[in-house]
Amino acid sequence: MDSSNDEALDIIITNVVATFRTRCHLNLRTIALEGTNVIYKPEVGKVLMKLRKPTITASIWSSGKIICTGATSEDEAKLGARRLARCLQKLGFKVRFSAFKVVNVLAVCSMPFAIHLIDFTKNNRPIASYEPELHPAATYRIKNLKATIQVFSTGSLTVTGPNVQNVATAVEQVYPLLFEVRKPICK
Amino acid sequence: MLSNTGPVGKLYLSIIDDVIEGMRELFLDEGLEDRVLDDLKHLWESKMMQSKAMEDFRKSLNSSNFVLQLPASYSQADQELTASVVIPANRSVHSFPVKNNSEALATFSLPAGLAYPVQIPAGVTLQTASGQLYKVNVPVVVTQAPAGQRALSQTTKVIDWREALTRPSSSSSSSAAVPAAAVRPQEPTAAVTQPPPTAGVPSGQQGPAPPPPPLPAAEASPPPGAEAPQPEVAGEEPEPRPRCEAASPCSHLLDFQIRAEEALTQTGRPKARDIDEILKEVIEVETEKVERARNLASAKAGDRAEAALGLDLDYGYSQISDIVQLDGAADSSDVEEEGAPLDENNFLGILNAEAIKALQEGDGSSDGNSMSSSSDGEGAGELANVEEEDPLNSGDDVIEQDIPDLFDTENVIVCQYDKIHRSKNRWKFHLKDGVMCHGGRDYVFSKAVGEAEW
Repeated sequence: MDSSNDEALDIIITNVVATFRTRCHLNLRTIALEGTNVIYKPEVGKVLMKLRKPTITASIWSSGKIICTGATSEDEAKLGARRLARCLQKLGFKVRFSAFKVVNVLAVCSMPFAIHLIDFTKNNRPIASYEPELHPAATYRIKNLKATIQVFSTGSLTVTGPNVQNVATAVEQVYPLLFEVRKPICK
Repeated sequence: MLSNTGPVGKLYLSIIDDVIEGMRELFLDEGLEDRVLDDLKHLWESKMMQSKAMEDFRKSLNSSNFVLQLPASYSQADQELTASVVIPANRSVHSFPVKNNSEALATFSLPAGLAYPVQIPAGVTLQTASGQLYKVNVPVVVTQAPAGQRALSQTTKVIDWREALTRPSSSSSSSAAVPAAAVRPQEPTAAVTQPPPTAGVPSGQQGPAPPPPPLPAAEASPPPGAEAPQPEVAGEEPEPRPRCEAASPCSHLLDFQIRAEEALTQTGRPKARDIDEILKEVIEVETEKVERARNLASAKAGDRAEAALGLDLDYGYSQISDIVQLDGAADSSDVEEEGAPLDENNFLGILNAEAIKALQEGDGSSDGNSMSSSSDGEGAGELANVEEEDPLNSGDDVIEQDIPDLFDTENVIVCQYDKIHRSKNRWKFHLKDGVMCHGGRDYVFSKAVGEAEW
């Protein structure tokens, strides 16, 4: 799994954000009045619909664009999105499930060691940035993967990327860098 | 008017009154009679009281078989006088806030569970504990029968007695005495109105025969001849008879038998003692009424007639029997009553119509745009997802919500909101000016705070 170590790092996906299109205009008022478990936000112009089964919160715009958040896996995101489209179909809209795309995956990971952030930043100067007054974590952006890793001194990581694969790759990429600057005492 | 309702009921009744009054002119403009509007109002009130009052009074099992008997000496001419009288059945016997007979409104408080003969002025709208409304145009004696049989027997006796009395149009004591006497032996079998012999003179008279004679005195429109005998209710039996005959005979008899489903619970009660007390009370009340009525009768007979004409309602016997239904009707009428008084927040129907229209227009236009999918701007993504253009398969593959309607509940709150807040799945509600229907009962509030978890 990991490049250098035999340990298995548990990467826990906490959030998957996906979007899809219904290819039809949606009347938000109808959805707000007749749909179940909906929150209407007229000031923003969207309707939030929450699903229980795959725990998903969807933001529905009148253009037919829908953003699904809260899933814990890509498959779950797709399932939830389809269920959502089905709900809209039942409300009477001519929904066509199209352009489903996972746009963001958020995962957390924990290193078995603490990290010396200042050294980490010094070693990875342009790629990593650390402003302790603004945020206690160092931010490491991997350009080609389009992934962002936030490194905390405790050894916890939060990784965001366009899909799960990229996230996993990013963790693998950053692991050796972190390993270099680990604090030997803690954990 | 109906004073045995809670605050919610009072609010609803005031709303009904407002609406009806507002419509009165329109109705008149349309050429409809005032009676129609009043009929509507009473229908509305009765239905509302049925549905809502059922909940209010469910606990207080007010079962009563009321037998309303006409006094024999009631004169036809005085039927014009009508008064709305509400008899809330929950109060104690001793509270008889009887207003002046000449007034249009008089409130009678009758305990539901006791049997007693009570005289009620003419033109009374009675409401039993169960919410039944009965408009009586003639003065009646309300006697409560514990069980149906007794009531029946009473009515028949009353009818017989009435008819017997109506025959002698011109009062002759002897002839009237005969039918009265004929009925008299039957009286002992009528348990409810039968005064126990131990009660003494006043109560001793209170059989079906005596009550009617006092009635004319008690009624709002005492016939000219009836006044004289009435104070002597305490007198001996022979006296009322000639008196009632002296008064103009009753033209017809109205017998109302009110049955509540809980009536059967009253069967076990001992009636004798209660009757005595009640009879005494009644006699005192009637005595007062009689004196008052006598003083005002001649002068105010005409006034009362005119004043009360506005409340002229005739409830036919069939109408009464229609109102008796206590089950089943509450389900649908409750919804109606929710909708009728609540004008404020019931805009859902309107919005739905608008929304559906907009939706149809939107769908029509969106179909035209669906073909130009390439304009979305997702180059690579578009190509990759072309295959998923339309994979919904009309919902075959998509599993529906497992628990779509967790609870199809009839508990609804219709209100305005001050603030609704949500944190993750915790909701907090600050509501105002609303009506909640919970468990069939209505609760009206000006402020409500709630919390819920989703």
